[in-house]
Amino acid sequence: MKRQLFVLFSLLLAAALVLTACPGAQPAAPAQPAAPQQPAQPAAPAAANPKADAAAAKGLTELANAYKGMYKGTVVTMTGPFTDEDAVRFDNSVKEFEQETGIDIQYTGSKEFEASITVRVQAGDVPDIVDFPQPGLLGTFARQGKVIPAATLVPESWLKQNYLQSWLDMATMPGADGKPAMYGVWHRFNAKSLVWYPKDNFDAAGYKIPTTWDELLALQDEIVADGDTPWCIGIESGAATGWPATDWTEDLMLRTTSVENYDKWVAGELPFSSPEVKRAIETFAKIWNDDRMVYGGRAKIVTTFFGDAPTPMFEDPPKCWLHRQGNFITAFFPQGVQYGKDYGVFYLPPVDPAYGKPFLVAGDIMAAFRDRPEIRAVMQFFSTGEGIKGWLAAGGALGMQKDVDLAWYGSDLERDIAALVNQATAVRFDASDLMPGEVGAGSFWREMTSYFSGAVDLDTALAEIDKSWPR
Amino acid sequence: MTAQAVSRKKHGVSWGQVFVNVTLILLVLIWTIPTIGLLISSFRTRFDIQTSGWWTVFPHRDWVTVEEFQPGPEVDRDGVMNLAGAQGTFEEFRAGITLPDGRRVLWIGNKRIGRVAVQERQWVMNTNFTLENYQEVLGGKTFEVKQPDGSTITVQGSDFSSAFINSLIVTLPATVIPILIAAFAAYGFAWMKFPGRRLLFTMVVALLVVPLQIALVPILKDYVRLNLNGTFLGIWLAHTGFGLPLATYLLFNYISSLPRDILESAFIDGASHFTIFTRLILPLSVPALASFAIFQFLWVWNDYLVALIFIGASPDSQVLTQRIAEMVGSRGNDWHLLTAGAFVSMLLPLIVFFSLQRFFVRGLLAGSVKG
Repeated sequence: MKRQLFVLFSLLLAAALVLTACPGAQPAAPAQPAAPQQPAQPAAPAAANPKADAAAAKGLTELANAYKGMYKGTVVTMTGPFTDEDAVRFDNSVKEFEQETGIDIQYTGSKEFEASITVRVQAGDVPDIVDFPQPGLLGTFARQGKVIPAATLVPESWLKQNYLQSWLDMATMPGADGKPAMYGVWHRFNAKSLVWYPKDNFDAAGYKIPTTWDELLALQDEIVADGDTPWCIGIESGAATGWPATDWTEDLMLRTTSVENYDKWVAGELPFSSPEVKRAIETFAKIWNDDRMVYGGRAKIVTTFFGDAPTPMFEDPPKCWLHRQGNFITAFFPQGVQYGKDYGVFYLPPVDPAYGKPFLVAGDIMAAFRDRPEIRAVMQFFSTGEGIKGWLAAGGALGMQKDVDLAWYGSDLERDIAALVNQATAVRFDASDLMPGEVGAGSFWREMTSYFSGAVDLDTALAEIDKSWPR
Repeated sequence: MTAQAVSRKKHGVSWGQVFVNVTLILLVLIWTIPTIGLLISSFRTRFDIQTSGWWTVFPHRDWVTVEEFQPGPEVDRDGVMNLAGAQGTFEEFRAGITLPDGRRVLWIGNKRIGRVAVQERQWVMNTNFTLENYQEVLGGKTFEVKQPDGSTITVQGSDFSSAFINSLIVTLPATVIPILIAAFAAYGFAWMKFPGRRLLFTMVVALLVVPLQIALVPILKDYVRLNLNGTFLGIWLAHTGFGLPLATYLLFNYISSLPRDILESAFIDGASHFTIFTRLILPLSVPALASFAIFQFLWVWNDYLVALIFIGASPDSQVLTQRIAEMVGSRGNDWHLLTAGAFVSMLLPLIVFFSLQRFFVRGLLAGSVKG
């Protein structure tokens, strides 16, 4: 018996040694710079390089240099929260750039991005460029002076030319010296003010797409009168349970009060207990708290996984008819359902015409932690429509750069959503992603969940959120 | 007392024994039901998992539609309707009206596009099984990526094999190194006299209560400076450091309880400390070593945080736990793959546990009763 164990022990050791000797044992050693790729043009003469000329015309010096091949063989490391399919799509969207410039963009996604990036920044182990899904988190690092201001990497005049001012405002945050500056370049976004519906059945039943809030309420009543429940709502999401409720709040804030009030609310100047916020929540709570309006009844809202929520819409016949969620929800739809047939999408109607047609969005901002010419080139690349083109074709992203052509979208769905966003009178970012973490990723989620589970009343919930705001 | 004992003998089995056994069987069942459910779910499609429970794969009685028709426009949906031999209002039909022969008539859907089904209660089982989950987990997912020029290319996502090997590369040395060091240390603490022994041992025991999370940032800072960050050596050292206090403490308890006479006779015969350690201590403490090896192996194999911080999440170096977490997609949309992934990742720990479990129980008891 003892001998057996010694054999086992030595086997384990031997195996360990053999595995260590494997070539894979040095993961972090920078991979060999991609072999110089010269696919079509062997000697790329500087004169015949339309992309370089176009970049130079926009004032993007480093990007023009990159297209001339001046940074061939350099490596730019990146990290971000998208993994799996999204990472494949991202790699695909920078493939052409890598081939043309010889810059190797090494992206490593992490599921626990928020937790790991904080540790890595503290320890001084940051990649060159980081993709932040929440400007709030970027703001923390900007205040610590760790982030390179966007204007040193990309000419400000070009940013002003290629982005709506509201995007630039959302990238502006106080730096280490307390002065506000732009600290990142927006790359892609999600549209959130969308309502999904089972199109074929919807048309067969003779329902009409509502364009005002009153029409929406009328449609709801019609569906109820026909014996069904209108909405599918689910806000369960593990530790982040409650976030879909915050999205509804934000959408209704934009529809029941001015964007100025929305901005004040995000900045913490307008408390949650103010009548504006309360009215916004009450507007949709009327739907949520009504057992006839929600599939499974009000009690199911808090316990239904947000990704499973729209599934009953695809049963035959549909068990619910409306689902409000961002465009990423299509990833959760049952396999094989088709846009334009099995489902359609419309803009969540405005409540008060006085506030126009605002659109709620979320997005990814690229921030650089180091300044090298090739990093500038990559950041400048992301600020152009070309930088997102490949992703738009693959699907799963929308581009906010002004030079993005609607024809670039690979699917009708995303082209239609982009067109809806283009019609918007104002674009505002997901408030919970902008608020301090204690609120935006904490008490706001938690208290909305408590309210809709019936544990506390609305006034208590709102007062609790106000209390948790760091002063 | 004796009369009772005799009567117990007569029955063969005592009621107490029956009670204990039944309770044990029940407990085992309760413990294994979630695992069985997981196993069954890993062979089901995502839509099935979402819409019906895993227990529906067992034979059960359920309503089965035998006849279905679309009610014409002449049917007054707001009044009392006569459909398939049943009479009632819309609400009653939605709830289902039972016919005298046991069948029921059910209205499915709303008033506008709904249909009427006649259903019968039958024995059914859900046998719609698939191997797709395991295929995607083991072979990697395939992504179809549309290119700007309209063509589509297929990209093969990374599979389990590289992550499995990485996990092995991390786990084996991270199990063996702390055991070796801890065995030496435990011997030293137990059988060698040197100044400061008590103080040092107290420090080791005190380290048991330090949570590893607070050490992440300082260690990572040092690793960045030493260029150890992202290497396997770095994570072996980290796991060794985090595992050593418990290992030393456990092995000390065992080694210090070995009979003094054996060691003394060895000394008298002129054996050195090293000879005693390799020829006597190691063979004698096999149960303790094995039980700690299981502990450490499972802990490192299942570890996510330490690996995430010290070797990162790049596809060539990520370990199994990271691969599983990533498999569900950026937003958790492929969570149904977790079932299959969990079973694949469970395989090796199960093999290790069952091959070493003989020592495990003995090792746990080791040192508890001195003498």
